Amino acid sequence: MKFDSSIANLLLAFLCFALAQPAHAQNKLGATELNVPARLVAESQQVQAGQSVTLAFVMEPKPTWHGYWENPGDAGIGMSFDWDLPAGVTAGKPQFPVPDTLLISGIMNYIYKGDYAVLVNIVVSENTPLGNLPISVKSEWLACTEEICVPEQDELSITLQVVGQDAAVSLNNAFNEYRAALPRPLGSQATFSASNDVFRLSIPLPASVDVESPYFYIKEDGIVDYAAEQKVNRDGDRLIIETTARGDSLEKISGVLKIGHKSGFSLDAAKGDVVMAGTPVGGGGDGNFTGGDDPNNTSLLFLALGGAIVGGLLLNLMPCVFPILSLKAISLAKAGGDETVVRRDALAYTAGVVIVATALGAILLGLRASGAAVGWAFQLQDPRIIFVLLALVTAIAFNLAGMFELPNISMGSKLTEKEGPAGSFWTGALAAFVATPCTGPFMAAALGATIILPPIAALLIFAGLGIGLALPFLLIAFVPAIRKRLPKPGAWLDSFRKIMAIPMFLTAIGLIWLLGRQIGTDALSLTLMFMLGIALLLWWYGAGQLKGAARGLATTGAILIAIVGGIFALPNDEQMTVQQQAVAATETLPSEPFSETRLAELRAANQPVFAYFTADWCITCKANEAAAVQRQETADAFEAGNIAVLMGDWTRPDPVISKFLEKHGRAGVPLYLYYAPGQEPVILPQILTVGTLTDLVNSRAETTDTL
Amino acid sequence: MRNLTLIPTLAVTAVALASPLAAAQKNGTIAQDFKLTDATGKTVQLSKFRGKNIVLEWHNPGCPFVRKHYDSGNMQATQAAARKKGTIWLTINSGAKGKQGHMTGPEATALLKEQSSKPTHYLLDMKGVVGKAYSAKTTPHMYIINKSGKLVYQGGIDDKPTANKAHIAGARNHVIAALNELNSGKKVSVASSRPYGCSVKYAR
Repeated sequence: MKFDSSIANLLLAFLCFALAQPAHAQNKLGATELNVPARLVAESQQVQAGQSVTLAFVMEPKPTWHGYWENPGDAGIGMSFDWDLPAGVTAGKPQFPVPDTLLISGIMNYIYKGDYAVLVNIVVSENTPLGNLPISVKSEWLACTEEICVPEQDELSITLQVVGQDAAVSLNNAFNEYRAALPRPLGSQATFSASNDVFRLSIPLPASVDVESPYFYIKEDGIVDYAAEQKVNRDGDRLIIETTARGDSLEKISGVLKIGHKSGFSLDAAKGDVVMAGTPVGGGGDGNFTGGDDPNNTSLLFLALGGAIVGGLLLNLMPCVFPILSLKAISLAKAGGDETVVRRDALAYTAGVVIVATALGAILLGLRASGAAVGWAFQLQDPRIIFVLLALVTAIAFNLAGMFELPNISMGSKLTEKEGPAGSFWTGALAAFVATPCTGPFMAAALGATIILPPIAALLIFAGLGIGLALPFLLIAFVPAIRKRLPKPGAWLDSFRKIMAIPMFLTAIGLIWLLGRQIGTDALSLTLMFMLGIALLLWWYGAGQLKGAARGLATTGAILIAIVGGIFALPNDEQMTVQQQAVAATETLPSEPFSETRLAELRAANQPVFAYFTADWCITCKANEAAAVQRQETADAFEAGNIAVLMGDWTRPDPVISKFLEKHGRAGVPLYLYYAPGQEPVILPQILTVGTLTDLVNSRAETTDTL
Repeated sequence: MRNLTLIPTLAVTAVALASPLAAAQKNGTIAQDFKLTDATGKTVQLSKFRGKNIVLEWHNPGCPFVRKHYDSGNMQATQAAARKKGTIWLTINSGAKGKQGHMTGPEATALLKEQSSKPTHYLLDMKGVVGKAYSAKTTPHMYIINKSGKLVYQGGIDDKPTANKAHIAGARNHVIAALNELNSGKKVSVASSRPYGCSVKYAR
């Protein structure tokens, strides 16, 4: 039986191979029996002499089939190109999109599963005559499933038109997507070491850039063991990768750092010393991730848990939490005589804190899992939540200041003052919710660990944060000695309570600032009108309390209406984008977003223009901005010289900027351009100084003089 | 027949796991010893060939890259050149049962006859133990062991990593070159190269 099935398999394999051979002759005629068929597409049919045009090999693997990256990994073959080009036409190096890993029985393959496009720039020389430009290429590539491989080849051709300098060139928009899948040049050089079977790579990457299971694809063979796991650490503005070395024969290597789905950076690295430092980030590559039973993860869990508990403890001192807590602590002490009541209240409080902290954590993990880039205090990215929090904090502040008292029977946030365990529970819930904006910086490390831990362990960290926050209460409740040391309530408590209104008001001001940055001053003023309304309502309510009038129901209703109204009055997303640009404008050197239209307008108006292209992940860009661009001297000089500033942000792939960079011979950022009126742009050096920029104004003054 | 082959395979498992894998595949170190059953059911042990140069060739008859070298006669010619100088040639199939290219003894014997392939032995390594000990990644993947049992070459058969027969003529055959150097007492000038081909179809 086994004999037969083996023969059948063998025959099948031979058959696949046999079928693949005549495919070459047929697919030129348009048949599509290739497993990874290729199409040759041009970004534009027309090209001007002296310009370049981008061609794409659009590869469309059939289900279960894959094609290979330029370095295929342990097995497989990269793609080859044998061009047949008219005189004066040259083809550039093929550009491959960011690949995926496929590990089969310990053999690593660098592949593409879905459709992908390999781009090649074709340069047409100045003296190419107008008319047809036939381009033809013989290409070979390997198509594989997880079981078998078939070498495939095709002869692809396309005829372009060389057109005059004034002729319109229409672009194929599909190329925007193709380009977005390419790795973007990192701009700064990395360092690698390979010795004693250990390969390390240190990549400059700002700490603020999010990475998701990073993996380094090396282009050169014989340096790393492809199938070995890649350990990735972050150490400040560096990302360090460690894996098994295979050899150390090269002084320079290159490759692609993948940081997310179809997203990565191409980089070069020179040999040097690299030590492993920093903190680990998620396991490298698909399928290399080890679960919670890994001993490293277990110690990480304890470390992070400890950090979370200490962090939670410190949160008690934060201005947004301390007032609520101190009063609650004294009220606990008030009940001093009855041990069981105190303990019951403290446990209820702890439950409230832990449940809210864990719930916020669960929502955070859920959002992350769904792909949103969110961090702790993510709820503060939504102005509606800030608004509700602001209303709550303001009301608490006015309450502490003594403008009104909370009745014992009420609903909603007033539950916090309710006697008994329910009241304590809600105080805890409120404290945890209000405390989140105040997470200390070292808490960030503990919370960062939640990203690489399995969900259950991550939730444990959030619970630890809650336990830390509740710890003082547990101590007061369960250690009578501490409770005895608390001051006895008395007349001073009323003054203390009023003083505690100050940090609460400060918290409110902090939230107003945060809200203002998000929604702008116009919308903020409207929001503050609503806040005034709420304050007046509370005042009226408090005055009623003094007179013994029952205004509770009316006030609750009116405040709810005010809050809902306030939420609806908040600006929408579009206005917020405008606002974010306005925030950018408050930088030392204000800039407008880059567009070719705006550049053309300014040039037409004979205004000098400084255009710079940056990205949040580009460390050279950030260094230049801090050292030279965003400097008062530069801003003053530019203002004096009436230089307009355009800023292109390439943090997310932007086809307009990609094309513009390409036009200037750059594959990536930074790029600094200066356009003197009526002159060709000058490309400024990649390392800027204040002098380089201020000299632009001075040299301009000189040229004006000579005119 | 099948049960008989199982015993040496288990013995090999023990041998291969006894030393670290990485050390076994470094040039200049003593090549990892192993015992495998050949297509005729005979047990073959590597160390028994000490005193002769040995070529190891990883094989998968369904792989287009292997077929490139057999259909063109290039591999048979390389075998003949090796045989002439008394070199032992061990073709090893690490394809797992049910995977592409897996062969039983009789199938392998028939194939060798059909292709006029004349290795000293055609070895069956369906559990992939020897393949993994040598970190054999592709078919073909070539290794050369010198007379004192040291690994002196590992990599591809030549320097043209394609499946196209037309590329054989202009290629440098690393195996023939290395054997010539060994036989004239020289150091192997190209001691490693990138192996190319299909991945070895190991059992998971």
